Order: sequence, then C-alpha cells, then structure tokens
Amino acid sequence: MASRRRMLLKVIILGDSGVGKTSLMNQYVNRKFSNQYKATIGADFLTKEVQIDDRLFTLQIWDTAGQERFQSLGVAFYRGADCCVLVYDVNVQKSFENLNNWREEFLIQASPSDPENFPFVVLGNKIDVDGGNSRVVSEKKAKAWCASKGNIPYFETSAKEGFNVEAAFECIAKNALKNEPEEDIYLPDTIDVGGGQQQRSTGCEC
Amino acid sequence: MHENEFHDLSDDADYEASIQHGSASMVRTSSSKQSTSSEPEGSEIVYWKDNVAIHPTQYASERISGRLKLIKQGASLFMTWIPYKGHNSNARLSEKDKNLYTIRAVSFSEIRSIRRHSPALGWQYIIVVLSSGLAFAPLYFYNGGVREFVATIKQHVNLIRSAEDANVFLVNDFQDPLQRTLTSLDLPRAVSISKGTSPSVLAGESPSSTDQDGLAVASLDNSSTNQHKGKQKQKHNDPAHDISIQVLEKFSLVTRFARETTSQLFREHGSGFVSNEREKLVHNSNDPHKVVMTEITKEDPHEVPVASDPLASELEKLSMVWGKPRQGPLGFEEWASFLDSEGRVLDSGALKKRIFYGGVEDGVRKEIWPFLLEYHAYDSTYAEREYLVATKKVEYETIKNQWKSIKPEQARKFTKFRERKSLIEKDVVRTDRSISFYDGDDNPNVTILRDILLTYSFYNFDLGYCQGMSDLLSPILFVIRDESEAFWCFASLMERLGPNFNRDQNGNHAQLFALSKLVEILDSPLHNYFAQNDCLNYFFCFRWILIQFKREFEYDMVLLLWEVLWTHHLSEHLHLYVCVAVLKRHRTKIMGEQMDFDTLLKFINELSGHIDLDATLRDAEALCICAGENGAACIPPGTPPSLPIQDASVYPQLEDEVL
Repeated sequence: MASRRRMLLKVIILGDSGVGKTSLMNQYVNRKFSNQYKATIGADFLTKEVQIDDRLFTLQIWDTAGQERFQSLGVAFYRGADCCVLVYDVNVQKSFENLNNWREEFLIQASPSDPENFPFVVLGNKIDVDGGNSRVVSEKKAKAWCASKGNIPYFETSAKEGFNVEAAFECIAKNALKNEPEEDIYLPDTIDVGGGQQQRSTGCEC
Repeated sequence: MHENEFHDLSDDADYEASIQHGSASMVRTSSSKQSTSSEPEGSEIVYWKDNVAIHPTQYASERISGRLKLIKQGASLFMTWIPYKGHNSNARLSEKDKNLYTIRAVSFSEIRSIRRHSPALGWQYIIVVLSSGLAFAPLYFYNGGVREFVATIKQHVNLIRSAEDANVFLVNDFQDPLQRTLTSLDLPRAVSISKGTSPSVLAGESPSSTDQDGLAVASLDNSSTNQHKGKQKQKHNDPAHDISIQVLEKFSLVTRFARETTSQLFREHGSGFVSNEREKLVHNSNDPHKVVMTEITKEDPHEVPVASDPLASELEKLSMVWGKPRQGPLGFEEWASFLDSEGRVLDSGALKKRIFYGGVEDGVRKEIWPFLLEYHAYDSTYAEREYLVATKKVEYETIKNQWKSIKPEQARKFTKFRERKSLIEKDVVRTDRSISFYDGDDNPNVTILRDILLTYSFYNFDLGYCQGMSDLLSPILFVIRDESEAFWCFASLMERLGPNFNRDQNGNHAQLFALSKLVEILDSPLHNYFAQNDCLNYFFCFRWILIQFKREFEYDMVLLLWEVLWTHHLSEHLHLYVCVAVLKRHRTKIMGEQMDFDTLLKFINELSGHIDLDATLRDAEALCICAGENGAACIPPGTPPSLPIQDASVYPQLEDEVL
C-alpha cells in the first residue's frame, strides 16, 4: 500500500507570467513546442511515467497561472506537492528577482512538513533567445542565489529547442521522490534511498 | 387504496384540464368493456386513451401519437403505449422512431413514480419513472385524461401522493434507503399524507383553496413561477429538498433513461437505425417549418423533457434535452423590427428574450452587443448614440494618450507602467492567434488589443491588467471592429466582471460559492460527493467562471454564449446554471469513477471543446427555472456579474499589487 501511494510524484511549476512554464511542461511530456500556447488560467497538469532506480513512478506536473493575483488558488493546487520547480526567463531581470517571492509563497501555501528541506529546482529558461545576446541574468548570479537557498539544483534550459529539459526533469523527479522519506520504510528493498540521494547530489548539482 | 380516497388524487388542474380539452370522461367506462385479441389471455383493459403522444423532437408538430392502455391481468397492472401505424403527423418520423418509444406492457411493479405536469397552456403530460431509475419519454394527453389515468391506477395498485410534490405519485414502496436518498423521498411523510394529515390532501375536496392559484391561473411567462408557488405550498420545511426531487427526476433519472434505454433499444432494433436521420430531425435549424413549430411550442412554457433523444452515437449526448427549443439567430430585418423610427428599442425585454433563445447573426452583433453590454441605452435614439460614440471616441483618445505620451525616459522611472505593458504584450500575442482576425506576424488587431488593454489599465488604474482580460476583450474587438467602441464595450463588461480580477479574487470566490450552493439544491448527491472528496472549493470551475467559458467553446460558440448570458433573461447568473448543467451532464462519470480533486480538474479542463452548447443552454435554462427563487437565494447580492453593491471603483487590494 505504501508503495502504491508512492507511485505518484507531484511537481508544481511556478514563476512569472510568460517565462515558459507551459512550454517546459509540454516539451518534457510531449516533446513538442508551440508558439501558440495561451496564458494559463487556473491550473492544469500533465503526467508522465518516469523510471527512477529501476522503479516506475507517475510524475504529475502542475502548470499554474503566472500572475501574482492568482496565488490565492495555490492552496488547492499546491497541496501534496513533492517538489517545486521555480522558473525564470534569463532575459527578464524581474522574473529572476521574483524567484524568492514564488519560493516563499509556495512554502506558505503548500505548508510542507519540513519547509527547510523541501526540494526546489530552479530553471533559467529561454537561453536560446537571440543567441543568448539578450540575456540579462548570468548563470553565475543564478547559481549564487540557488546556493544561498540551500543548494537548490539549477538548470539552464530552452523549452523551445528542448535543451536540457529532460535532464532538468530527471533531477526534479529524483528530488520529488526524496521528499517522502517516511514512506520509504514501507517500500520493498529494491529501492536504495541512500543511493538515490547520492545520485541526486552528483546528477543534479551543477 | 380505497375508493374513498379517490379524491386525494384529483385537483383543480386536473379538472380544468379535462374540461379544457373536452376530455372524454366516459373513456374509462367505455373502454373497460373492450378487449382485443392482441391482449394476453385473461387480461382486461381498464383504461384506454387515444391521442396520447410523444414529442421526440421538442416540436409538437413532430409528435408521435398513439394509444395508452392500462391492462389488468390477474393481480398485476400493466401499461402500454403503442404508436399508431401510418399515422404520422410528420413524414420524417420513421417507423423506427416509433419503435423506439413504444412501451410494451410494463408492469406497475416496475414503476416507481408518475409525475404529472399540468402546464397552464398546452397539454398535460406525465413522466413515468421506473424503479430502476429509468424513465419513459413524456406522454402528452392531447385529449386530456390524466386524472382518470391516475385514478384508474389507484384503483388497482398502491398509489400515494408524494409529500414533496403533489404532482408526483409514488407507485411502490421504497425499501431501499439508497433509492430513497436518491429521489429525496421522505416515506413517513408520504404515508402520513395518504392518511389525510396534510393540507395537500384537501386540495381535491376544497378546490378553491390550495392549488388553484398555483396551477390554474398563469400567463405565458410566469406560469413556471406560479407553479413554483403552488408547489411551495406543499412543502413544509426544506425548500432544497423539494427542488431536489423534481430536478433529480427530470435530470438524472431521465438522463439514465436516455442513455440506458436508448442503448438497449439500439441493440433491440439492430443496426438499421440511422442516427444521422435523427440528428437532422432534431437539429433542423434550416428547416422552413421551424418558425411555425417554435410558435407552437411557445404556447407551452413547460415544453419539456423529451427524455429519450437517441440522436448521436455518443451516448453522453443523449441526455436531458428538455429546455425550450432554441431558435435561429436574430437577423437584420428582425432587429430592425425592434426599433422605432428614431432608433429606440421599443421592447427591450422582448429583444433580450429573443436573443436568449437564438442569439444574434454575425453581422448584427456589432449593432446589438453595445446594448447588451449596457454601453448604449435601449431607449436611446440613433442621434443620441451617434453623439455618444463621437464623445466617447474623444474621451478614449484622451485616456490612451495618458500612456502614449510616456517617453522612454519617463518609462524608466515608471516600473508599474513597464510591467503592465510587458504583461499585456506577453498576453495579446497568445490570445486567439488561431483566429484569422488575430493571426500572422505583426497583425494590427493584436496591437489594438494591446492598446485597449493598456488604456483600460489607465482608465481603471486600481484594477489594472489581469490575465484573462485579453480573453474577454478579444471577441468584443472581433465583433465591434472599432477600437474606441470596443474599449467602451469592454469597460462596460468590466463594470460587471471586474471583481473577477481583484487581487483577493473575491468575485470568483463569490461565484464559486454560489455555484456550490446551487449544486447543493439542484443535485444533492453530487454536492455530497464533492463534499466527501474535498472538492467544495469548486476551483475546477475557476476558468469557466473567470472568463465566462471563453476557453471552453469554439470562438463562434463563445459569441453566442456570451450574448445569451448578457441578456440576463431569467437570471443575471445564468452562467452558474450553465456550470451546473455541465457538471450534471457528467455527474455519473464523476461519481462513478470516484474522481478526486486532481482528476476532476483535469477532466473539467479536458471538456474544453467538447461541450454541446445548445443542449447545455437548454439544461441551464431548465435548471434555472427549476431552482426558481430558491436558486436566486443561493446567489449573494453583488455576485458578479451583478453590479457591485458598493462603489464599483473601489478595489481595496491596491497596496501590494504591482501589476
């Protein structure tokens, strides 16, 4: 029963409007990119089967509206999350500055049992734009912020070109799995939790 | 039941209806002596009524007429309804249609209840609900005789009047508590009624007292309200309870009938059934007879439940088509007929009602939307409107210049402006770009969208811009085709929907709350299901509410839906009944598959593009009428799109809102 409960890993994608949350999700799940995505109203999610350490999980990826004004809905959508993905647009300074707000808002609304250790992953998206010439947030700056927040794993991505998206979500899935330690004791010993953590520290940290 | 309780079952309405239709009150006695070779051995026909019809397509002119019989065999009573052979009122109705509706000797042991409907105008009809929860299509008594029908049944089987609704007759005992819950039947009270302790029992004995004002006196438009009044007299404590039974019977059971019976009949009658034929029948919007048919059905505000509507291959679609038939859109000539020589709309109520039932033709929308959105007053003249348009154009340009005149240097010191502009620019390029009006690179209409939204964020600086607004503006600009006019129409709409976009989301929460209350009275099992599954926040309907179903239908359907909603005919909050209607259509799936919040949200999101607007509007209308004042009471004053109670310009959430 415990392992069954564990099959689902819930991931929330947050970030300013237009940073590419929907595109990242669709690129990862459907390997498709469209210029025609509409602004997300409310929330939606896609699921994908993932294999971590020889076990299959269902990754449930929640895409949310980016406008601050809709945050009051978070209470319903964030609950039970196993990992939170913070996305910003490397070409928009403000979207980077808002990462902290999104992080704090998430912790308030989702109120995870162990906020200090709740897994986040940060994605700097749209690195393809203008060949990188319009970029305003450097990788160094982003990594520094991630380090200051408890070594949040950081990935630079292009949802449009599919760059680094798979790797990012692999890391996201592993972190989500790591978030449910109390369930682990019920799991068959085919899963080595310690090994998973180890892999995370090598595979995800940049 | 004993003969001396016979009068319990009669009332004024029955009496009047039988007089009105010249009902052959001798039918029962005369027919009871008859017997035909087709009937089983040892059986006796105890009731026989000709010209009892089914309306398979909502249009009375397309009825299938037949003969209704009650047959006694031993201790059992059976009911049959056999359509006449080669007696079609409409040539397009095939023999297969007839077979579909034929009722072949159903035993009363299988019947749960009979609901009697006595519209003030039009024909009395009954709906027979089986204990399985299935129901037969309504049977219209063209020659009257409902009262005798019920009375005859009462002579042979245990029949009691429901405590909840004097028009519902319960045929069998309800031992199963689940069924009792489902139909909201309160057995002890029903029994006490039959013992004569309720005022409703007296209705038949003192015709002047109880039901008279409720059922006998009614005009075209308020008859349904009157029926509610009549019904309310019957209920004792819980209005929600009362509605529940009515709605459940009409919706879920009828729906189940549609689905289950139809699939059964499909099997029974083999593959020869051409569903397309029926689809044409029902959706014959180009049919020249349509206006005439509509006229006829207008006579009956309760024009109702064709329970079985087996038209498409998707069984989901078969359910509950039972509101008023919808009409074709309002065209130029008809629109002109609503105007006097100086351009005033003489009867705005009639206009709204007309639009409610059919929408507006493409070319005419540009004329009519400004009225519906309350930008133009109905009693304004051509000249006054022309003047208003000119004045408002100047005013628009003035507001627009407030941001147009911001030079880059000033913009650098004006964060809020920059951020709003950037947010709007991000959204307009992803708003309806698949519509040719907005497609392609550098489309000027996309720029106009941006300009209007940015201007609006200055016009209503407190509210600013919020995602979803571009969805609301897009169809308006598409229809109005003029920047200034579109702006003012949008601004008028935002007077009502502005609270949807408040930072605290109070407008949405008010509507979602009202929705939960409506579901509670209109479908209590579904409400209970949501309650048990932590779904009462109704956030899965958030997108529906925020942008008035904009993302749920094709573009042209959105235009139709909006103009229907904006008429505010029947209710300012018809959109909430639309929500209930859609949920009800899928209630079986939602509860059957035990959907949790996440699954439900996904399911609802994926309904986008798969909702039958026509049927949904009819359901919504019927639900709205059904809920009546109790429904209205669920919706707190000031709930959008009602105008806010306080000053609309006050949005109390400013301090920390950047955008």
